[in-house]
Amino acid sequence: MCSVIATLLCGGVTHSATEISTETPTVNFERDVAPILEANCLRCHGSESPDGDFSLSTATSWRESGFVIPGKPEQSHLLMVVQPDGDEPPTMPKEGKHLTQSEVTILHRWILAGAEWPEAVTLRVRSKADSTWWSLQPVSQPVMPKTASTSNNPIDHFVRAKLDEKDLTPSPAADRRVLIRRLYFDLLGLPPTPEAVKEFVADSRPKAFEQLVDQLLASQHFGERWARHWLDIAHYADTHGFERDKLRDHAWPYRDYVIRSFNADKPYDQFLREQIAGDALDHPTDESIVATGFLAAGPWDFVGQVETKSPILRRAARALDLDDMLTQVMTSTVGMTANCARCHDHKLDPITQREYYQLAAVFAGVRRDNRDINPQRREHYEAEKTRLTSTVSQVAAQIGQLQGDGLDLADIVGGGNGFGTGKKGLGLDARTGKIQERPFGDLGNVKPGNFAACDSLLIDGVFVPASGQTRISSTGLIVNNLPANSGKAWDMIRHGPVSSQYSTTLGNIDYNSAGHSMIGLHANAGITFDLAAIRNAGNTRTALDVSTVEYRFSAVVGYGGRTVEPSAEFRVHLDGELKSTGRLGRNDTANISIEIPATSRFLTLISTDGGNGYGHDQISFGDPRLTISTPATINDDRQEQLARLEQKRASLEADLRSLGEPPEFYGVVSEAPPAVHILSRGNPEAPGDSVSPGTLGFGKADVQFGTNDMPDTSRRRALADWIASADNPLTRRVIVNRLWHWHFGTGLVNTPSDFGFGGGKPTHPELLDWLADELLRSGWSLKHIHRLIVTSQTYQQTSVPVVVNQKVDPAAVDDDNRLLWRMNSHRLEAEAVRDSVLAVSGKLNHEMFGPGYRDFDYKEAYAPIYTYQTADSPPLWRRSVYRFIVRTTPQQFMTALDCPDPANLTPQRNVTTTALQSLALYNNEFMLKQSRYFAERLQREDGSSVDDQIERAFQLALARSPDGTERELSRHAIAEHGLWQFCRTILNANEFVYID
Amino acid sequence: MNHPQIPQRQSAITRRAALKLAGGGLGSVALSAMLQAEQPAHHAAKAKSVIQIFCPGGMSHVDTFDYKPELAKRAGKPFDPDGKLQFFASKPGNCQPSFWKFRQHGESGLWVSGLFPKLATCIDDMAFVYSMHSKTALHGPGCFMMNTGFTQPGFPSMGSWVTYGLGSESQDLPSFVVLPDPRGLPPGGIINWGAGFLPAVHQATTLDAIDPQNPIVDLFPTGDAPNSSGPGASSGLDFLQQLNRRHLDQRRGNTDLEARIAAYELAARLQLSAPEAADVSSESLLTQQAFGIDDPDIGPFGRQCLLARRLVERGVRFVQIYCGAENTTAQKIRPNWDSHEDLPRDHGYWGRVLDTGASALLNDLKSRGLLDETLVMCTTEFGRQPAAQGARAAGRDHNGGAFTAWLAGGGVKGGVGYGATDDLGYQAAEHPTYSYDLHATALHLLGLNHEKLTYYHNGIQRRLTDVHGHVITELLI
Repeated sequence: MCSVIATLLCGGVTHSATEISTETPTVNFERDVAPILEANCLRCHGSESPDGDFSLSTATSWRESGFVIPGKPEQSHLLMVVQPDGDEPPTMPKEGKHLTQSEVTILHRWILAGAEWPEAVTLRVRSKADSTWWSLQPVSQPVMPKTASTSNNPIDHFVRAKLDEKDLTPSPAADRRVLIRRLYFDLLGLPPTPEAVKEFVADSRPKAFEQLVDQLLASQHFGERWARHWLDIAHYADTHGFERDKLRDHAWPYRDYVIRSFNADKPYDQFLREQIAGDALDHPTDESIVATGFLAAGPWDFVGQVETKSPILRRAARALDLDDMLTQVMTSTVGMTANCARCHDHKLDPITQREYYQLAAVFAGVRRDNRDINPQRREHYEAEKTRLTSTVSQVAAQIGQLQGDGLDLADIVGGGNGFGTGKKGLGLDARTGKIQERPFGDLGNVKPGNFAACDSLLIDGVFVPASGQTRISSTGLIVNNLPANSGKAWDMIRHGPVSSQYSTTLGNIDYNSAGHSMIGLHANAGITFDLAAIRNAGNTRTALDVSTVEYRFSAVVGYGGRTVEPSAEFRVHLDGELKSTGRLGRNDTANISIEIPATSRFLTLISTDGGNGYGHDQISFGDPRLTISTPATINDDRQEQLARLEQKRASLEADLRSLGEPPEFYGVVSEAPPAVHILSRGNPEAPGDSVSPGTLGFGKADVQFGTNDMPDTSRRRALADWIASADNPLTRRVIVNRLWHWHFGTGLVNTPSDFGFGGGKPTHPELLDWLADELLRSGWSLKHIHRLIVTSQTYQQTSVPVVVNQKVDPAAVDDDNRLLWRMNSHRLEAEAVRDSVLAVSGKLNHEMFGPGYRDFDYKEAYAPIYTYQTADSPPLWRRSVYRFIVRTTPQQFMTALDCPDPANLTPQRNVTTTALQSLALYNNEFMLKQSRYFAERLQREDGSSVDDQIERAFQLALARSPDGTERELSRHAIAEHGLWQFCRTILNANEFVYID
Repeated sequence: MNHPQIPQRQSAITRRAALKLAGGGLGSVALSAMLQAEQPAHHAAKAKSVIQIFCPGGMSHVDTFDYKPELAKRAGKPFDPDGKLQFFASKPGNCQPSFWKFRQHGESGLWVSGLFPKLATCIDDMAFVYSMHSKTALHGPGCFMMNTGFTQPGFPSMGSWVTYGLGSESQDLPSFVVLPDPRGLPPGGIINWGAGFLPAVHQATTLDAIDPQNPIVDLFPTGDAPNSSGPGASSGLDFLQQLNRRHLDQRRGNTDLEARIAAYELAARLQLSAPEAADVSSESLLTQQAFGIDDPDIGPFGRQCLLARRLVERGVRFVQIYCGAENTTAQKIRPNWDSHEDLPRDHGYWGRVLDTGASALLNDLKSRGLLDETLVMCTTEFGRQPAAQGARAAGRDHNGGAFTAWLAGGGVKGGVGYGATDDLGYQAAEHPTYSYDLHATALHLLGLNHEKLTYYHNGIQRRLTDVHGHVITELLI
């Protein structure tokens, strides 16, 4: 370091700089100095985690660093490091070019003049692209170039103009068989039938192709095909993903929404508005509400967001959740990688870290969850359901009393009336009396001895027993001297087994089987039934005098845990008085039978852990019944009454069934948004300034975002308005480019979700703008753009390179065919391959919409297990867009064919060719079965003539007749290996999966 | 960053279209693209292949390799007297020293607990990173981070990156093979070895260690379907290839079609090579015994370790072995290292499994002279807390703050440790290291610069190491 100082002091810089400073005007910090620092220093010495703890971003931070001494450039460390030290090059900047002499001079003069740095000026790293970037400019209205093309489709003139520049010539039109096959796969994702091919080939009308286009655009299969493209960029799937990859049973309404929207040619601006804020529109409809399934389509971490108790882990999971949502919205709609600004300002595009968090604030009130499509319908449904259930329950109670059946206490624990109206598996929390369905483990916040009332009228309340005094009733009954226990509690008091139940068999009877019932009473817990209420509920409508009803309580008591030696204790109290007790292990049972006089009020069951605190200590009460001690005899009157009641119950239950649960869907639930902060380096544990909702700094200027008081719905509405505005320069460009990409295999911009500096630039910027403008002129009609594209001569060219009529070698000039001197050939996507196999075999099930088909066995577990099975029944032969998509366990046949991982947003699919893919198509059982069905179809429809079968197979699969050689080869193959092996081969042929 | 040149489609084929200029005719272009032919490395490599053992659930460092005498001194005292901490599933219990006694081993004198008596004899070949930590303490994201460098799903696994960077050395076998635990999948499922956004050719091929006759899904048809290959067997494949060649004749120059023809030929070769590689019966009895392949508990993992050696011997670039599962309904013990309630029971079980298989693997590789060119790595999701968990204080909760990873062979120094945790093993203290440094180091040994191994995806030049990572030079020979 000393030598550096010495060099500087002795060197010539001081001298010359001093000279200059006397001759030139003062240095302006913002104009002269800031750009040098921003361009050369800030990338490492910026505000976020500056290298060497030295930040040049604000006046305060550099002053504190001491690296600049105002007025003394020679002693300022900053100046030393940016200049050469003798033969040694400057030590800074470490990466990139060294400062020029004039830049050093400016810094020198600035320091000499006092190193003025206005407090308000904060330096930031400049992004590579600024607001002048091409995609951020307003969409222009280009004039169609005049070219030699005879087409009346403007697309052809825009394309031809670029070809002319390179001396390239368009290729001739493909023949009609190629065209119809191309068009069918492109628009419908299915092969044309031989009849359709024949008709089109013979159609001599001048507009035959246009009419075919219109026909296909009107087909309902169009939406099925194009929805799949959109679902790729929504990373849609039917499970949550992550560790506990649970079923997302109600995701499909969103998938159907996309299919319906594309079929109806819903204006694209409306399509976007609905998906971002369909529940926040002026007049939301069922359809627009379901559209918000878009925001929820991606993966969701149940363990991170719900299960873990750690707030740090929860915050981290939520931050990633919001990032996923906003990344999806911004890349899919406006092709901006705003997610790159999560940890720092975007290095390429003009997007600040603040703007990222303003966008995060737009979604901060959004939670992915099931929701009702129509809340009013839900309210009505719930009210009706409650009314009917309660009536059924009364009738059932009357029937039970007439028949003299016992009341089932387990059913009462499950919220029922004792006669089968309760819900199995339901539990009561011994700490609070609240109803819980999901399994619990070790419970926190346990207060032994504390009594809690329950909602059920028939249950007085629940408690966790204390070893000393324990209150067991609402009236203040106290019992003392309960068995010593650990004071802990696990899981719930359940109608059925508890969550850790090792066995439900007590003695020789499985009390969890049909015809039996059980109360699972995990240690340490107690429950008190209100016998007075039970007498009233059960007997008011019968002839019995409530005040005289005597019961007998009977049950088989056992131990449901693993421990063999007696480990847990049970107790039965009647009005506080101990009636029965015992200590049980896995092989022990106790039969209890207790008389209950008409005057008794409270029956209490208690389970304790014997003080050892084993997590699985538990008591089960098998067939816990209250029977009337003197059952009434059933006379004729009563028989008649019974018949009437049975009839009434049947009719009520029918009403209940026909009530029909209102539809739910997996979408977003709107909540009050919490404050959103800028997170230093994206770290949720390092919050900085709070930000209000907002969006990126271009496009429509008058979108009102407002302050943090803004409700969730208004935030999303504002963002939707900004995105779906005609003034947004990106929205229209991005979608017309996507359509182009999906039709041609490559977009005019070859990065469909990235229109920033990191993405590609348009090969045909004028055409892109013309199409974007045309979209607006057509009222945002996507089908209009589709029609324009596929009816162009450019689209109808042959894909086989025809070099003879080229002036130059196209491979040398444009090997990638970006200028479209021919059409691109494509390999079919995974879904189209599968759908085509089914179409050709004759097995395709055209059923549209509704829950997806599941070609797997599902096994419930902590992390559910999905095991794929061969799709070999009509319900599984639906189109692939209806496949129930599992995130953690992808369908390997589809993955082998490049079906993407739905964790990723996939604007363009990979196309790979692998040995595993060949094995899948050649050997997978689905393919073998379908080959046989294909053969059976040929035999069924084309008789026994091998030549007819060969002809038909080629027509069905390849839309053409075989030539003489192929016919000969086919005959030979059939003779040697059989018809189905021939069919298997056709379904594996390159020509079957490649579209010219 | 330079303005990225984005190919029309980043398919395996077009990425290598340049090969066309290098001569050799279309057939060889397509075939080499298919095979993911060897790619030039960034620098000279020490390791030719990698065997990575992954222990799902979270292996405890304080019970295995990270010796913490201070923890023993504080045994039974509250770990968090202020009650401020909240772990993944519980509040911290008391300080809980290792359930196994630690001893020093080998010339290096590194500490190993009594859980790993056999691995302890290999200590002078092993290098430890004691200061690993993770950005998460959740199983799914934890697995993703250690396998892909990101806590979210959808990113390519390390094996995919390696094959993307280096291609395959084998002509007849896939370059990236995974051997999942036969008890089930790890947390997060199949995508732990997925290719993410990389082309599907880079995803792992799953090898079924239990069925050596049919080790790869769809390798052979079911039922009475004729096989697609087999010397002398009458083959439907000839007819397919005749059709394909005629189709190609009318579309000359289309390398995609050529590649697809080659793919069927490679598939036929795989039908011969995969069962051969998966068949361990040709191994000597002594070898089979060393890997314990007949033991009902140790056997499955031992067999996988033995298979891994056979695979790298045959030129497979990257083999990943799972020591533990997740989504299984097995009841007896925890199906992986996630020992919340009974660590002596669960680590005791899995420790014996890992100890036998991994030590046999190291010894076997060494005796065959393969260890020098094979990098063996053993990683987990995260560590476990120095505090006890559960009513019996016999478990430990998740700890994203510290864990240990070890490496051996392939240019790694033996008998060294890097980094350290604090006195109790709660947090990485000296040289805290995320997956990035470990991945950067492994790539470096394979001849790859982790900063140059990139792939454009949705606006970003993605890397295995995100924007981080330093090669841990202290561990290199």
